[in-house]
Formats: sequence, C-alpha cells, structure tokens
Amino acid sequence: MRERYDVAVIGAGPAGLTAAIYAARARLRTLVLDEGIPGGQVKTTHKVSNYPGFPDDVKGADLAAAFAAQAERFGARIRRSVEITRHDLTATPKTLELDEEETVEARAVIVATGAKPRPLGVPGEQLFKGRGISYCATCDGAYFEGKDIHVIGGGNSALEESLFLTQFARSVTIVHQFMDFQAEPASVQEALANPRIQVLLGHEPRGFHGETVLERLEVEELATKERKTLRTDGVFVFIGMVPRTDLLAPYVSLAQGGYVETTESMETQLPGVYAAGDIRVKRFRQITTAVADGTIAALAAQKHLR
Amino acid sequence: MSANVKEISASEFEQEVLAAGMPVVLDFFSTECPPCEALAPKLDAVAEQFAGKARFLKVFRQGNRDLATKLGVTGSPTLLFFKAGREVGARMSGDDIKRTALRAAVEAMLA
Repeated sequence: MRERYDVAVIGAGPAGLTAAIYAARARLRTLVLDEGIPGGQVKTTHKVSNYPGFPDDVKGADLAAAFAAQAERFGARIRRSVEITRHDLTATPKTLELDEEETVEARAVIVATGAKPRPLGVPGEQLFKGRGISYCATCDGAYFEGKDIHVIGGGNSALEESLFLTQFARSVTIVHQFMDFQAEPASVQEALANPRIQVLLGHEPRGFHGETVLERLEVEELATKERKTLRTDGVFVFIGMVPRTDLLAPYVSLAQGGYVETTESMETQLPGVYAAGDIRVKRFRQITTAVADGTIAALAAQKHLR
Repeated sequence: MSANVKEISASEFEQEVLAAGMPVVLDFFSTECPPCEALAPKLDAVAEQFAGKARFLKVFRQGNRDLATKLGVTGSPTLLFFKAGREVGARMSGDDIKRTALRAAVEAMLA
C-alpha cells in the first residue's frame, strides 16, 4: 500500500520546512523529504545574525533544528537521508519513488531543493576535493588547526566563514576577484580587524597543485595578468550557489542560471507543483525570503487542494 | 551507529583495513558535521546490503588525526575504498554522497 499525502515537500531547508509548518497546521497530510538532515544551507552556517527574533545571533544548526522541530510538532513527517529515485509530477496523484524501494503519492508537491555550493571550475578542483579543498567550514574547519589556509570569495559567506575559520587556522587569506567585498559592511569590518585574516584582492584562482594533497594555489592578478603560486594547507570555496533543479528540469523550462520561474503564488508551469526558496528566479536569496516563499507556496497549495 | 558499520581507531587500521580478508569501505567522520549525520543511515543501509561481501568501517577523525593526515583526508565525511591492502577507486566526500552512487561504488569495487 502506497503512503498517500496531501503535500510532499522536497527539500528540508528554511523554505521547505516553513511550507511544512503551514501545510501541517492546515491539517494537510504533509511529508518532507531530504537527501540529508533538515536545515538546508542554514545547518552548516556557523552563525546567523540577520534572522529576526534572535538578537544575540543563532547557530545555523540550532535554527535548522528549530525549524524542523516546529514542523514535526504540527504533524509533518520529515524523512531524512532519502533519495528520490523516480518521480512523476504530471500524474494524478503525483508519485515519488524513494531509495528504489517504495513509492509515495501526493496531491501537491512543493519543490524547495535550494542550491549547492558553486564550484570554481578550475583545474585540480575535483582532484583535491576532500584533499585540501572544502566547501563547508563547520564540517572541515577543525582539520586545519594551526594551518595556513585560503578562502575564495567576497560575499557574506566568505567573510563570515573566514572569521569562523580563524578559530582553527593560523592564518586565513581571503582571495577575491574584485577590489571590494560584496559582503555586508559589518562582516567586512570584523574580518579586516581580525589579526589572523589577510586579503588578496583583484586575484582569481587558476589552478590547484600538490602531490597527493593540496599544497599550492595558483592565482592570477587580474590587473596585470601575472600568475603567482601560493603555498597553502587548504582552500575553502564560497563563491555563491547553483540551484538544485535535477528534479524539476524534466518538467519545466528553466530560466537563466538554471533557476525556476514561478508566479507570485509560487506556482510552476505544472499544476499542483510549487517552487520555493533559493531554487526560484528572484533577486535576493536569504533565509527570510526563503521562509516567505515557503509560506506562500503552502497557502497556495492549500487553496489548490480545496 | 549500527551492527553493520564498525568503528575502529588508527591503531587497528593495519589489521582491520589493510590486512582485511574482504574489501573495505572506510568512513572518516567528525562531530558537528551535518553531512556526516546525513551519510550515516545511507552507509548503514548499503553496509547491510553488502554484508558478508565487504566490510564497512568508520573512524572518528578528531580522535585519529595522524591517520587522516597520513591518508591525506581533509574533510568529513570522506569514504575510502580498500581492496587487498590497497586503496582503490575514487574517494567520495562532502555533502552530496547519494545512496545509489555509494552502492554503485561498492559494486565496482567488488567486480
């Protein structure tokens, strides 16, 4: 017997969990699926300072756990570490096969699969991933105790995570392509004041080198086109995100950058299928805008199901 | 974690991994590591499926730093594959290790 739900939410980040809170409170049978544990990008953000309601900052992992607990309190079922191996979002009801083992049905689907770290696309990156190159400071920072490392990027994530990494590393050099940081001034100021942080502006990575582990980072100074090789123990990459659209791509046309167009009510081109959060075409991708999307998607789905 | 995945320490690496009588999947994990938490049930499920054909071991990175350094492991989780005392295949690391991909990697190792 297939399990049947009113709403299946795919992706347990802030958008998906907020959708689940609203759907479950509307007494819709709600299932949340995630390939990992709940929280999306928030769970590996070391601290969140701009989410209202937490005047003293909140650890990303704690905020993620709170979102999930709130959804579960109202009866949403969250399934962790589950992979969607087949799907038919055009069928009625819509079907999702999980781990090649079982199939669940849902009358509406909210896709909130978010985004994953953008790779640099520089030679050696794949080879040294996990051998010196990382995309998650909370996961891997402790590997670099007393080491000299580099951070690539100049946005909020790059600056905030650099500060976090100074707890472990002896030095953190931020390499950024532009001459200014894009991060909020508050983060920039704090980072620049930290004695363990150095900056290398106007430079872009060009290659990663080493025997079996990463040993050297090759950069180019953009103004002079001069290449330099820097000794490094590790490189953390925070240059933005790319949307995870594998699931939706077969059903809808994707906009520039792979993002999904929706109406103001989060509807996709497919009836009963909604998109919410970082996967959407929109100007600003924040936790606060993701939870807003999730709210709207759940309310719209609720109306659709009536 | 489970009966299917056994935790070892660096001192057991030689005997449990290199001298093992069957292929080994070794998982370096850390605490405060959401991707490690996400991988655990997948590793467990795949370990159960290959019981008797491959051994599934895990090693706590913070407690076994020298072994991680020796093997060039700089991130958690990292999965290494060993056959007849040698590392084989490509390592898997980070937050998007899929259960189907892990199963395929183990099947390739056993082939």
